[in-house]
Amino acid sequence: MAQTRRFELAMSPHVGATQTTRKIMFDVVIALLPALAAATWFFGPRALLIVFLSVATAVVAEFLCLKFMKRPVSFALDGSAIVTGMLLAYNLPSGVPIWLPVIGTAFAIVVGKQAFGGLGHNIVNPALLGRAFLMASFPILMTAGWAAPEAWNSSEDISWGTSGIAMEEMSTIPMADAISGATPLNVLKQTFDLDASAANARNEGNTAEAESLEERADGIRNALSCNSTYMNLLIGRSGGCLGETSVILLLVGAIYLVMRGVLELRLPVSYLGTVAVLAWVFGGSGWFNGDPLFHVLAGGVILGGIFMVSDMVTTPVTPKGRIIFGIGAGLLTMVIRRWGGYPEGCSYSILLMNLVTPLIDKLTLPKVFGEVKKNG
Amino acid sequence: MIKARSFKGGIHPPGNKDLSSKQSIRRLPAPETVWVPLCQHMGVPSKPSVSKGDKVTRGQEIGTQNGFISLPTHSPVNGTVKSIENFPMPHRRTGPCIVIETESEDGGQVFEKWDDYSSHSPAEITERIKLAGICGMGGASFPTYVKLSPPPDKNIDTLIINGIECEPYLTADHRLMLENPDDVILGMEILAYTLGVEKCLIGIEINKPDAIELMDEKGVSVLPLKVSYPQGAEKQLIDAATGREVPAGGLPLDIGVVVQNVGTAAAVAKAVRDGEPSLRRTITVTGRGVISPANYDACVGTLFSDLIGKSGGYTEDVKRLISGGPMMGMSLYTDGVPVTKGTSGLLALTDDEVRDVVESPCIRCGKCVDVCPLRLTPNLIALAAENERWNLAEGFGALNCMACGTCSYVCPAGRYLVHYIKKAQDAIRANKGKEA
Repeated sequence: MAQTRRFELAMSPHVGATQTTRKIMFDVVIALLPALAAATWFFGPRALLIVFLSVATAVVAEFLCLKFMKRPVSFALDGSAIVTGMLLAYNLPSGVPIWLPVIGTAFAIVVGKQAFGGLGHNIVNPALLGRAFLMASFPILMTAGWAAPEAWNSSEDISWGTSGIAMEEMSTIPMADAISGATPLNVLKQTFDLDASAANARNEGNTAEAESLEERADGIRNALSCNSTYMNLLIGRSGGCLGETSVILLLVGAIYLVMRGVLELRLPVSYLGTVAVLAWVFGGSGWFNGDPLFHVLAGGVILGGIFMVSDMVTTPVTPKGRIIFGIGAGLLTMVIRRWGGYPEGCSYSILLMNLVTPLIDKLTLPKVFGEVKKNG
Repeated sequence: MIKARSFKGGIHPPGNKDLSSKQSIRRLPAPETVWVPLCQHMGVPSKPSVSKGDKVTRGQEIGTQNGFISLPTHSPVNGTVKSIENFPMPHRRTGPCIVIETESEDGGQVFEKWDDYSSHSPAEITERIKLAGICGMGGASFPTYVKLSPPPDKNIDTLIINGIECEPYLTADHRLMLENPDDVILGMEILAYTLGVEKCLIGIEINKPDAIELMDEKGVSVLPLKVSYPQGAEKQLIDAATGREVPAGGLPLDIGVVVQNVGTAAAVAKAVRDGEPSLRRTITVTGRGVISPANYDACVGTLFSDLIGKSGGYTEDVKRLISGGPMMGMSLYTDGVPVTKGTSGLLALTDDEVRDVVESPCIRCGKCVDVCPLRLTPNLIALAAENERWNLAEGFGALNCMACGTCSYVCPAGRYLVHYIKKAQDAIRANKGKEA
């Protein structure tokens, strides 16, 4: 007989995996922590302060936006704002004034994310948009604050951020005085300038000067491509943004994410693979003599490859699309590094690829099961 | 053992089959009253051929076939028709039922017993299977005789018996293979004979090694398959077995394959050998919301509440009642619902077992795309459906979706992907109807 007991109605499936958006976001936060430790070690407590300010701003900005738009404010604690705050801070030099991360993160959340509808709806990575905003608005502050690693607690006067890179070689470079702690990619960029000057000199018929300039450029490049440089880049003893210093600790985070089923490898592998291949093709003085290892270890490509190229919201959902995204971002990164106006192209390359993500998705829709193969 | 095969995509939800997999099938006598639905199959309901007060006998046709995709309905008991009324159904809101007061459950043989099926023509056997009201017992309940009547231009070369039971919790097919292998095998032989095929396989997931071994011992060619949901879906099974893909929008017939469930095969054996129509089936009653999970051999028209009663009743914390498996089954608001030929399981799930997440926006993680066995983009179809962009949804292949639920299962945002996609399918089909 029919009982009076009533049961809850729901759509199938009635069971499900335990992973949630919140858990994914907090996994990313956890994966970012080793790099925060490295940042603190190499750049001092100021790094912690910048990250803290950035995260706090992100959460508060998210909360206010949700409140204003009358949406559930609990979303502010879903972890995504924390990730944005951390990533933006990781993309700043340690020497920036403390109001800079606050402005940048507020812009990232309000304009980059909430203006588009919040979590899941933003077109470009909010942290990278925030960084691009800061680069455009405060270019000097964003590039002058390179601190030399470990300078904060060292009694010695370390004037080169690229400590470990043959000082002797570099002291011969006529670099701008402003650079107190150059990043390895700054140094590399200088060699391309030397190459250009050499080419000019040669055109003017000044062969001797051209040769001396070329020699200097090659000497610096050789110094960059040596084991001690690689080691410094791996452990993080080099100038750069807060979060990108220690390759090893970033990889620890990546392994954690893979184990937790959060990081899907197609994106980072295709991105870093493309960077490596193109580094060899045109990352050096001429063709096919670049140093892939240096290009992968230096700058932000490891941080970008693990945490920003693979940002779920702003990258393609199709398997093929992810590979195309990675290759495209890798290509743009290397083009900017070699011929662009900035020494590093990681963040702009990702932003540009973010914009074509819907198009990539559209063009790489998987062939539906049983669909007859179309020609072409 | 031969290497287990599978398909691309899919998931591995916890099986939870050990709740009932060791329980032998218990034959339940017919209850005092049975509610026999006139539409236990996919297609047009049968037309009642008895009226209130009529005496009926077991196996008597009480509803006549009404069209091609339709089947007759039979009385599972001897008794008196009390009424014909609408009643809650396991697979739709309500449907007409013939309510019969049970007197006894003897007899049931209404057709001639055929000891040697091969002395009868395939057409005769197909007719018998139709008159016996047999439909697919794996869940979709498609009339079996239709699958055995391919158009003359289709050359069928492979019959696959589906013993996969990839839905978590369910163990009815597994128990049936273990306890009644001879019926399954006879049914398989009859079906192969009827279709005129040489190649005949039984697909079983390797989480049922005892069933694989038993079938192997009995000389049946077994196709061991990896444990992956939805391995038992027709298209995925055929893909794993033959490497052929059923064309989108097409049928297995198009690539020369017919798939039948093990329960269907056993029903065919009964109809041909014993002359008995489809009156009973094996059903798993399980979940942590029921005191003692079990497998039953119950007659159609038995109310779910009776089955739960036989299993010791509900636990305190029961929350959801589901007809079928947890991935594709329908949740019911009441247990006053009759068993049909297609009811493979009845689940009483507790709070801890059901997934209860608040839906949040899609974060485009792409997990649904990675696992979809039909290579669709569920998140994009769902977004289109949410915004009522039906053409867009159709362009993403919405009509191919079989609602297996794999996408919703993995979705970290708890999106009701199956719901949106079904909504899109309904709207697209409705628009097509308008145009036509």
